[in-house]
Amino acid sequence: MATTGLSPSPLPSRERAGLGGGFPAETGARPRTMAVELRRILGSDWRLGYLFILPMVVLVLGLVAYPFCYAIYLSLTQKYVGLPPVFVGFENYVRLASDGFFQRAVANSFVFTFASVIFKLFLGMVMALILTSGIRFRSLFTGLLLIPWVAPTVVSALNFLWIYDGSLGVLNYLLVKVFRILPQGVGWLSEPGTAMASVIFVNIWRGFPFFGISFLAGMRAIPGELYEAAAVDGASVVQRFRYVTIPGIRNIMIIVILLSTIWTFNDFAIVYILTKGGPGGTTQVLPVFAYEMAFGAQRLGEAIAVALYMLPPLALLIIVLARYMRKGRAR
Amino acid sequence: MTKTTVGRLQLGLSYGVLGLLLVMVLFPFYWMTITSLKSEDQMRSLVSMFWPSPVVFENYDQLLRKTDFTKWFANSAIVAVSSTLLATAVGTIGAYALARLRFRGRAFMSSATLITYLVPPSILFIPLYAQIRALGLSDSLAGLIAAYPSFTVPFVTWLLMGYFESIPVELEESAMIDGATRFGAFRRIILPLAAPGVLAAALYAFTQAWNEFLYALVFITDVKQRTLPVGLSGFITGDVYGWGYLMAGAVLTTVPVIVVYIYLQKYMVEGLTAGSVKG
Repeated sequence: MATTGLSPSPLPSRERAGLGGGFPAETGARPRTMAVELRRILGSDWRLGYLFILPMVVLVLGLVAYPFCYAIYLSLTQKYVGLPPVFVGFENYVRLASDGFFQRAVANSFVFTFASVIFKLFLGMVMALILTSGIRFRSLFTGLLLIPWVAPTVVSALNFLWIYDGSLGVLNYLLVKVFRILPQGVGWLSEPGTAMASVIFVNIWRGFPFFGISFLAGMRAIPGELYEAAAVDGASVVQRFRYVTIPGIRNIMIIVILLSTIWTFNDFAIVYILTKGGPGGTTQVLPVFAYEMAFGAQRLGEAIAVALYMLPPLALLIIVLARYMRKGRAR
Repeated sequence: MTKTTVGRLQLGLSYGVLGLLLVMVLFPFYWMTITSLKSEDQMRSLVSMFWPSPVVFENYDQLLRKTDFTKWFANSAIVAVSSTLLATAVGTIGAYALARLRFRGRAFMSSATLITYLVPPSILFIPLYAQIRALGLSDSLAGLIAAYPSFTVPFVTWLLMGYFESIPVELEESAMIDGATRFGAFRRIILPLAAPGVLAAALYAFTQAWNEFLYALVFITDVKQRTLPVGLSGFITGDVYGWGYLMAGAVLTTVPVIVVYIYLQKYMVEGLTAGSVKG
């Protein structure tokens, strides 16, 4: 798409003197052989290549790799804000393993993630199928359905905090006064029975359009002849979905599910704003638990141990996902 | 049933489900907007729930004059624009190198970029906080500008790698046969062609920085230095929620993102999203 309307134009000759290893500009035999040797070892574009990735390498080392290694060290210490860390070995991990609040946060995180991703997958598929079913104003409707995905998460969480409000919230108003389904209002976020489901709903609401738009892009890339051939062979709508659509977007589905699992497992803002983990810890998930441990209880070492407990499953997801994403690119 | 009846039923079902989805998706935004236009009295009395009567602007007035909202808006703009410019510059040349240039370590760096992009902030926020503090950058916008590239740079790089790869390599090769250097070919040929993609990636990075919550919450304690998401969420810590001006703030925080998104929509439909793979 980017190449339309281009006509190759001759380049000004002063470009010859520019940077880069494209042409051997060196003179004299000795430097040339050294340059050739370097190019053989480091690759033909090594000078411009290293120059171009240098800023990125510095940033990634400084902002991700170094903090990450420092985190592993801190998790082996007792560290309070403003005080130097004291090495304690695996004590934080051992203590957490038998901590009931931590165990509950782990269980909640899995429920939160699993339920959210399943429903997002379902709704995303529904959205993509509707948008490919020949409706009018498709791009307008696509745009409208994507809004939850682009709006700031904090804004959405605050909107739902207001909608769910026990006394003045519109959800209770609708269910009690308008549709008369419930005899009286529910404290959606303050009652243990409904808090988790309410929080999960917000995550689904925010995240399903990403599934939908990704599946839509995948479905549009499936050649129309495949559907025609299937129709000629007498395949029903369901069979076409099962044997043409699903295989056609299989890779995208895997990538989107894995990506969303990572994001959902680490969702902080929605739970933090809606319930802060309450009532009575029923919606406590690991990121919020780690936050409260670090900045409520001021126990940094233990808080990082909480975060690092999430690492093994995440690392596995990340490695599998990275493979699929690279494969998706290689085509 | 004939074929056309089945087709009509399917289409009817599509419109029906579409209607339900639209209500579910848009209602919170409708509710946010009308709440921001309701008077305090109307909100308490539950009359005319679904339309403000009368339409008042007192919430906006209160938000802009009595709270730090304008300061937060400026903070968010400074942080988002600066970190976006940084991320776009670093990410664009990095992506070009990883997509096109041949040098030792390229495959490793591609993987490292992708993995960095996938590592979530909830693992990094505490050590990054310790580091920002050690550098004396906590409680300053500079700390956020320094920290946000941790997610915007890998994202922009990954997105643009795909974009550069989609530009035919022959264009560069013919330029170089005409005497251009590698750098010259990048600057004169590839960069202009990739400009729409670079702009899209920059706008994505902008919305990510604009929406970011966790780092801003952790790094900043001074009320005046807050960004919009943290400032807005701070309205709910008191016992009395001012829902009217809170929703007015929510509306004004959402508007810039929606404006950016109107431009981005066509790229998103083409699959240039966070996953960004062709399948």
